[in-house]
Amino acid sequence: MSTRQSQGTTLFTALLALIGISVVVQLWLLAATVDALLRHEAGTPLYAAIASGGLFVINGLLVLYVFGFDKKIKQR
Amino acid sequence: MPDDHATPCLNCKKRNARWREDFPVEWENDEYITRREMVKFLALGSLTIAGANFILAGIPHVLQSGPLPKTKIGTASSVAAGSSQLFRYPTNDDPCILIRQTSGELVAYSQVCTHLSCAVIHDQKENTLFCPCHHGYFTVAEGRPYAGPPTRPLPRIRLEQEGDEIFAVGVEV
Ligand code: FES
Repeated sequence: MSTRQSQGTTLFTALLALIGISVVVQLWLLAATVDALLRHEAGTPLYAAIASGGLFVINGLLVLYVFGFDKKIKQR
Repeated sequence: MPDDHATPCLNCKKRNARWREDFPVEWENDEYITRREMVKFLALGSLTIAGANFILAGIPHVLQSGPLPKTKIGTASSVAAGSSQLFRYPTNDDPCILIRQTSGELVAYSQVCTHLSCAVIHDQKENTLFCPCHHGYFTVAEGRPYAGPPTRPLPRIRLEQEGDEIFAVGVEV
């Protein structure tokens, strides 16, 4: 395995862990939203949804970055 | 016959068929999930969760109807000082409690505890609103939590009195 390839593998694993953690945070936000809805609270769900959307955008960018990196390695 | 001849024979074509990649005969390969697939799955999961969160956040805004109805909940003379009476407002699924304080003032709150939604009860002796589930305590005068796990006050029911009749006219969260 070339240095660049092993670098790619490490990067992929790290980003996979990062995305996994933010998905867990999103699940927690979803649980908080349901909890707030059952308490008839309208403010918290909105903030939770915005935060969840933000995390999705970050996740999406990370995935795009990692696949771009992957493509670059394969082209070499 | 080797695979590397110029025009692949029928055997080679069969061996390299596309469906074999997707449905491998070896079970180990079938259960093998690559990191790439996992990342894609997580990204899709992330999108689904964010979408669900936005839909849930929109529910209260969609369901928000106009002003709450004015509903008769009882008569002033039937609630003695220091005692309480249960009623439902604004819908039949929303239990509430009406209390006449020792000062004579009437107050009403949602009976749903702000901790984990148990029903709060009026403790006449201690002059407090008590939640038996996890021993949460709220003041009678303001519905403010002062002991136990609840951190938010009880939603207050706005009252109006016309003669002897008491009406609930709104909810202050
Ligand atoms: S539900 Fe009332 S204190 Fe927990």
